[in-house]
Amino acid sequence: MKPKKITIDPVTRVEGHGKVTIKLNDKGKVENAYLHVVEFRGFEKFIQGHPYWEVPIIVQRLCGICPVSHHLAAAKAIDQLVGVDPEDLTSTATKLRKLLHYGQVFQSHALHFFYLASPDLLFGIDAPAEKRNIVAVASENKELAKKGILMRKFGQEIINALAGKKIHGSLAVPGGVHKTFTNEERNYFLDGKQIPNIDTMISWAKEVIDFMKSYHIENNDWVDNFASYPSNHLGLVDRNTGALELYDGRLRSIDFEGNELLNIEDIDYRNNFKEAVEPWSYMKFPYMTKYGREKGWNRVGPLARLNTCSHINTPFAEKERQIFKAQTNNKPNNMTMHTHWARLIELLHCAENIKELLLDEEIMGTDLVRKGTPRKKGIGVIEAPRGTLIHEYHIDDKGLITKCNLIVSTTHNNEALNKGVRTVAQSLLNDKLEITEPMLNQIEMAIRAYDPCLSCATHALGEMPLIVQLEDNQGNLIHEKTR
Amino acid sequence: MKKLDNTLIIGIGNNTRQDDGLGWSFIDLLENNGFNTEHLLCKYQLMVEDAELISNYKNVIFVDACKSELNNGFSIEPILASEQVTFSTHEVPPNQILHLCESVYNKKPKATLIKIQGYNWDFEICLSKQATKNLKKTFSLFKNKWDVI
Repeated sequence: MKPKKITIDPVTRVEGHGKVTIKLNDKGKVENAYLHVVEFRGFEKFIQGHPYWEVPIIVQRLCGICPVSHHLAAAKAIDQLVGVDPEDLTSTATKLRKLLHYGQVFQSHALHFFYLASPDLLFGIDAPAEKRNIVAVASENKELAKKGILMRKFGQEIINALAGKKIHGSLAVPGGVHKTFTNEERNYFLDGKQIPNIDTMISWAKEVIDFMKSYHIENNDWVDNFASYPSNHLGLVDRNTGALELYDGRLRSIDFEGNELLNIEDIDYRNNFKEAVEPWSYMKFPYMTKYGREKGWNRVGPLARLNTCSHINTPFAEKERQIFKAQTNNKPNNMTMHTHWARLIELLHCAENIKELLLDEEIMGTDLVRKGTPRKKGIGVIEAPRGTLIHEYHIDDKGLITKCNLIVSTTHNNEALNKGVRTVAQSLLNDKLEITEPMLNQIEMAIRAYDPCLSCATHALGEMPLIVQLEDNQGNLIHEKTR
Repeated sequence: MKKLDNTLIIGIGNNTRQDDGLGWSFIDLLENNGFNTEHLLCKYQLMVEDAELISNYKNVIFVDACKSELNNGFSIEPILASEQVTFSTHEVPPNQILHLCESVYNKKPKATLIKIQGYNWDFEICLSKQATKNLKKTFSLFKNKWDVI
């Protein structure tokens, strides 16, 4: 049998989609699988020549779902250009930035679970693609849909209150923030008169975790084994306690058994990471230098964060983390679909943190900005909803950007995404020359577990438009399936 | 101040992409002509949660730029809910939002879609001359017919 190639290629290209190629060997077995990212944005290049203070505003245009993460990662880097390290920011500025960040992660996690992942979970792998969407969820599970909509809205309103807009607003300035919080703004989120309040958000976050736990009991074979594979895990942890940290901390990596591979200051990333390139994708492949390209790649995001942290510093989320960790006897969890579960624990953690910050009088303080001795280089690292996000900027004497390096969360997950697709392909496609709809669904689900930003391919409300082609090594079409 | 009680008007688009800013420019005209801003909204795109937003109104008017040729450069038509599902969160049409509103909130706001023809879509904050003419014609008719929409 001649080697064959299966290509899963989006029919349309709305703002850049991924493309999957699965290669079979001459015995009809899956030899390899590649997730091609064919979009190119070029932010690292066209930011050059801009004044540094423009950067946090410009780079958030990288994404419409998590612009706040880019805004804050850039802001942390730009702080250093004006001589201010994270610990030197005023307490009010740090707390307001954290409130913005938790609002962002909360709304993004709510969006992913309710709008994108819940159709897969509620209707199952074998459900027709036209049913696996938020409209079907809304029709059959009104209360779930209502809660999803209002949780997403709550996070968006936090962003709106702090940044002036729900998408592409602005809070951070070099060395701090440009506005404080008012008592009226705070009460909007506490009194429950206009929107459900933060206590309701905490309660709903607990409910949806209970849903996930029940779902796991009923579907544990699939949830535990689907696209599961061992990997390293990377995430920020609190500098002093090792707790889950989303805004500022040390970078920690462990292997699939829990052995520590890396524990460094976030700004030392450059000495510890390299980025490989492949000819079939615009997306780079970051890896830890001392472990090499093959063994040094990490998963990032909710699952990785719960693996790398020692505990969570909010009580309800910590209780749920312990239940989650018990699934693997406190060892690292390498089960890809458990990412959805981990994401919901973080949803609860964010809600708890938002409440703590809303009740903190310092968010209404007026000491907003610090200045220091200017520097030529700044590095900002943050945990975005999808994982570790790194921004690095260099400036000249006029304050103009001369060099920029961005490693976004989905880039860290590049190898993991390829591995996930390969794992699914190997379990489904061997010896089969016919491509079925459930096969496509499962490949799509393996990608979606990471909530990647490709940029929009898997922010999908409905079925992902795909064409699947089976070709021999001469490029002759054997079988094609389109939806 | 002209009141817009029970009516929400949403301008959809991006004013940094030339004529894609027509929806926003329509909202600007409403503001400049004394309509109260409380029920006027500019959005890059509709999102699922807008179903909750429109459930609070009896009337909702969506204003968007249109690439296809339109008679007189614009159209004002009623729209109904549709079960149609789009692929991306970046492309949710008004009738899908209306359907979600009906499904989740049991509300059926009367909906109107105003389409205004545009011509240029590059990176610039500036409407083309023809798009500006279409905008003025649309607004003129809208003001005259306001009571019957």
